[in-house]
Amino acid sequence: MRFLLSSFFLLLVSCAPYPKKQGFSASALSKETLVNPFFSDATKDYVYKSKITIYDKTLGGILIIKKTAEEQHRIVFTTEMGNTIFDFTLTEEQFKVNRILADLDRKIIVKTLQRDFTALIKENLMATKGFTNGTTTIRQAKLLGKFHYYTFENGKLVQITRTGNTREKVVFRFSGINDNIAQEIQIDHRNIRLQIGLKAF
Amino acid sequence: MPLFVLLFFSVSLTAQTAMSGTEAKALRTLVKTQANATRTISSSFTQYKHLDFLTNDIESKGKMAFKAPDLVKWQYTEPFAYSVLFKDQKLHIDDAGQKSDMDLSSSKVFKQLNTLITASIRGDMFDENAFDISYFKQEKGSLVHFFPKDEQFADFIKAFHITFNMQGEVDKVKMIEPSDDYTLIVFSDRKQNQSLPDAVFAQ
Repeated sequence: MRFLLSSFFLLLVSCAPYPKKQGFSASALSKETLVNPFFSDATKDYVYKSKITIYDKTLGGILIIKKTAEEQHRIVFTTEMGNTIFDFTLTEEQFKVNRILADLDRKIIVKTLQRDFTALIKENLMATKGFTNGTTTIRQAKLLGKFHYYTFENGKLVQITRTGNTREKVVFRFSGINDNIAQEIQIDHRNIRLQIGLKAF
Repeated sequence: MPLFVLLFFSVSLTAQTAMSGTEAKALRTLVKTQANATRTISSSFTQYKHLDFLTNDIESKGKMAFKAPDLVKWQYTEPFAYSVLFKDQKLHIDDAGQKSDMDLSSSKVFKQLNTLITASIRGDMFDENAFDISYFKQEKGSLVHFFPKDEQFADFIKAFHITFNMQGEVDKVKMIEPSDDYTLIVFSDRKQNQSLPDAVFAQ
């Protein structure tokens, strides 16, 4: 009986929303919209020295992000010597591949990059739930059909977590935040060996 | 025609005029003589990555070392530490201390790019089988446009524009992508045929 009870309890916990598993409890939403401010200034060129690690291979380069219109961003990845590896345009409705090196032009790669970059640059979202542990707040929003959890510390966005079946799938960590610019961004995939590290310059 | 339009035309004419066949031949001879006499080059460079949608070009700086026939090292120092060495059909990368290799034989485009960058440092890439070439006179030197004939390569880089000084040395290399975005490399403080220690080209 005790075993049954504890299994039941485990089942309850594993079905709980991701923040509850982290020890957060539900809270009322003070605002329904949440804002990711990191790539929202159209007057700025966001340029990051980047390292993409896929399995054991590392691809270095420069990631350039620019807000080119309302709800529109251009994302270009070049080698250090300036040769374009990929060039995407993201809008509210569309993801356009302007250019991609033939070696990388695989559906799974493009789809993964589309998901990651959409989460990275998406500026305004509708929050559907709120959670808190007293000092930190988490808000839930749906993006590309998946739950994303936005973690705010002292009112600053520090992490985005994409989940699937209430488990972490991808974690975006923002650090060195100043004037709405994150000096460092780390994107870690939990289900595939893919990491993207970005350092502003 | 309004005066300013006339002025504009005359200015652009002085800046860039097509060469005659004889002038182009003289330039080729000058550059080839210069290239053949070049055993080493060391130079500072500033790189400008121009993307049309950006407010500012992305600027980086470093030093380039070349040793005949085909050793090239690009060492970026600003705004990040990164170096790339072309040696034995491989790209040896040192990314802020983290070292890796890329086998060029696996990528035709990168292999061609390597060959062309090496050739463009010496300026000696007047290969009419590989490029459509146009020659222009400038106030202080010459400008040559190279359009790759290989379709796969042209899909990667549409044109190389190389600017030569009066001595036939390369001052600038501009690599233009099909989108018209480009990378411009401007050389400065160029030293030729000084002995370069092997350590410069160590992996």
